[in-house]
Order: sequence, then structure tokens, then C-alpha cells
Amino acid sequence: MISLLDIVGPVMVGPSSSHTAGACRLARVARTLLEEEPVEARFELHSAFAKTMRGHGTDRALVAGALGMEVDDPCLKDALDLAVQRGLKYALKPKNMGPEAHPNSVAIHLKGKTRTISILGASIGGGMIEIREVDGFPVSLSARDPCLLLFYDDRPGMVMRASEIIGRRGINIASMEVLRRGKGELAFMRIDLDAPLPPEDVESMKRLPGIRRVHVLDRVAGGALIT
Amino acid sequence: MPSRLNSFADLLALAQKTGQPLDAIFLAEEAAERELPADRVFQTFLERWAIMKDSVRRGLAGGKSFSGMVGGDAKKIIDYVRGGDIAGGRLVGKCIAYSIAVLEENSRMGIIVAAPTAGAAGMVPGTLLALSEERGFDDAFAARGLVVAGGFGALVAGKAELSGAAGGCQAEQGVGAAMASGALTFLLGGTAVASVHAAALTLQNTLGLACDPVAGLVEVPCVVRNGFTAMLALTGAQAALAGVESVIPMDEVVEAMVKIGEAMPRSLKETADGGLAMTPTGCRIRKELYQIR
Repeated sequence: MISLLDIVGPVMVGPSSSHTAGACRLARVARTLLEEEPVEARFELHSAFAKTMRGHGTDRALVAGALGMEVDDPCLKDALDLAVQRGLKYALKPKNMGPEAHPNSVAIHLKGKTRTISILGASIGGGMIEIREVDGFPVSLSARDPCLLLFYDDRPGMVMRASEIIGRRGINIASMEVLRRGKGELAFMRIDLDAPLPPEDVESMKRLPGIRRVHVLDRVAGGALIT
Repeated sequence: MPSRLNSFADLLALAQKTGQPLDAIFLAEEAAERELPADRVFQTFLERWAIMKDSVRRGLAGGKSFSGMVGGDAKKIIDYVRGGDIAGGRLVGKCIAYSIAVLEENSRMGIIVAAPTAGAAGMVPGTLLALSEERGFDDAFAARGLVVAGGFGALVAGKAELSGAAGGCQAEQGVGAAMASGALTFLLGGTAVASVHAAALTLQNTLGLACDPVAGLVEVPCVVRNGFTAMLALTGAQAALAGVESVIPMDEVVEAMVKIGEAMPRSLKETADGGLAMTPTGCRIRKELYQIR
């Protein structure tokens, strides 16, 4: 069952749960995946997202998320000014993603000092979001529950080594997905967990042979509503 | 994770089997999913209720929206109610004023609690607060109503996307009004069956409602519409408490809502390409707003 606190919630800065809160959360996911302060943010907005962008403060919300703000941060409405102060260059433009794309879709490209990240996501109502692509890999992520994203060189034994670290900690894997560009090329693993993996285990995972990047998404978009 | 609660039919079966009130059923379900004690989850509802009440208070103070198009209507209505001679009575007047107040605060980029969305955030706090004041309900009791509202919304959200872009206004304000209606019925001592009938009666009377916001803003007609749909919620609750039943069960009303949402053209689903948004006045306002900025 969907959480009651996602329905009576989020507590947020208006005016739109899809176009303000959802937009902020999508950009926060991108920032979390970047793992450093972004210096450049490019947003491409589809359909309804593009058409009503300014009126809903979608531009402010996306930039606020890139700056790491939560949906109930009263500074969200000043995000465009804060971006200038904090040295974040941003650009927003409409992009037709075709009839199949969700009307509230956005592609987010963030650049930090040492790395870049691109995601494609949709705001699916009431502030809930779905990430559909990470660096070109098709995914389906709500970013509500603890989750790990691994990028690595395709080779035998990777699933076992990663799941061994998780299993040793006594954490249950709720679901997982493994994809690759081609045999022996860049591969991707998504692991949904019942509890967050402690940082030291994430570090061990990063040291596994063949691993390129390990991302932690721990309830970036809601989820951690009860503290 | 398989849940034992996926439909309103499941809910009624569970209520009948256990004899538990609706809020206890929903709270237990939420607590189990989050692996937290039920009283801790309820504490969060109390906190949200406090923020909701505060958003009504801030909204009633007046002030213009982000665009300048709306603002101050909640204050006009509450002043009229306080004047004493309101034909519909204080409960009706307060339901309308409070529901609009939340949306006016929302349109100023103030802090609100989405219920189920920001554009439909008025009815649940507006009607529950109005009823609580008029009946002398305390916060703990009102927050139990909020749990019921959340549970009803969650059951709908399991079957339908709650956004104007996907389902039109019926999926936002229709669902918000249905949540409020079920909660009002619960707070007024109605049975579980009556609460679900109230929600079904309310939702079916918003089916087909277009999402055609002027200039694409959550302002016209969204702000005043929260006051109007609050009346649907109250009508649904009163009818259900009187014994009126919905011929079409709630689960089927939700299915109908989804199908109608799919059949609606994109121009009436939040794109501001049809309906009120494309009237001569709507077009003029859009032009003026986007020239200024």
C-alpha cells in the first residue's frame, strides 16, 4: 500500500506538488548521484513541465534541488538568486521527448568539478517521482527506499561480490536489476535494500575490482518522513 | 510486499472482520510497512495537522499570489462568516473560507501540506478544521480524521496517478474531496461503510473535471475550486450519514476515474492549452504575465 504520509504530504513550499516539490526532488536525486557541489546544471523539460514552468516555480524548484534544498525549505523561492551566489550556472529549455514520455518529464545534466551525471525522471503526482534513466541506463527508481547504484566493468562474479557485502551486514535485498552496454563493457546494477548500507560497507564495495562508481540513494525523495 | 489492503473492498472486509475503526486499520498498516510503532506514526500526523492549521491561519491573513492574479478571497469569506448572518451557517462558511485559505497560501509559495496534491490541498484541512471548531473536537481527534483521509487517498493512489497531467482535476480535487468526505463521515460517527459511500458519492460527482489552469498557474480556477469541492465533501458526508448509498462501489468509481482521465485530451490535463486557459481573458492574462517577467 502507498504510504499515507505520501498522500497527506509532503510538507512543501507551494504551489504545485508535481511541478514544485516533485521537480525539487528530481534535481536532488541528480545532486545526490553527483556526490559533489554542482557548478553547472542543465534542465530539459517536456510537455506540461515546460509549458507551465515559470508559473509553478519549476525553474526555482529544479535549481533548489540541484543546490540540495528540501521541498519544505522556505529558501526554495529564492533559489535562482542563491544559485548565482553559490556559483551554480544553470540553463532551462523545453525539449519534446515524444508522445510516450510522461508529460512531467525532465532530463537533468549536472556537472561538478570532477564529474558529471545525467538523469531522466518524471514527476508522477503528489510530489512522488520516478527516475527512468541514469547516465543512459534505463531504470525504475522511486528514490524513496534505500538503494545502491553500481557502475562497473562487466565480468563474472560481480553480483556475488556485491551481494556478499550486503549479506554479511544482515541486510535484505528487496529487488535488483543488472544491465550492461555489451559483453565485457560498462555494466550497471541497481540494488534495493530493506535498510541503508553503512558507509564502511559502501567503501568496501567501491574497492571491489572492476567497480567504477557506487552511488547511494537513501530516501532522497520522501521516505525519511519520520525522524 | 503483498499488502492485505489494496482496495476499498479489502478495507471494508477488514473493518467488518476486526471491528476496528478505520483510523486504527490504516495506522496499523502504515506502522507495519515502516516498521515503527503506531503511536510514532500518529505523532507525525499530529505534526502535519498542526502545519495544516497554520497554513489556514496564514492563508486567512490575505495577500496576493505569486502572479498577482488571486488572493484575499478567503479573508473576504471569513469576514462575511464572522459578520454573523451567513445563510448556509458557520460550518459551511468556514469550510469554504478555510479550504480557499490553504490554496491562497500555496499560491504565494507558502508552506502547505499536500493532500493529496498541492493544488488540492485545501479541502482536507479546510473541512476538518471547520468541523472540529464547530463541534469542539480536539487536535488528537481531528488527526484521527486526517489518518482516514490519508488512507482513502492511498487506496486511490494505488490504482490511479494523482496528477492533473495524468488524470485531470478529478484526480486531484476529486480525490481530495473524496478523502475529506470519508474523514468527515468518520469524525461525525459514521460507520466504515458510510465513510466509503461518502467518498464514492463525492468522487463520482467530480468525474470528468478538467484541469485547465489559466496561464498554467495553480490559481484560476484551482484556488476557489477548493472551496467549491469542499462543499461536495460536506454533501457526500451528510448524504452518507443520512443513509444514502453509492450505487457504484468506490473501487469502480476509481476505475471509472482512471478511464475518463485516459480519454481526456491533453489540452485539458494541466497543459493550459484548453478550457478556461484558452478563453480570451485567459489568453490575455497569460500574455500579460509572461510579458512582465
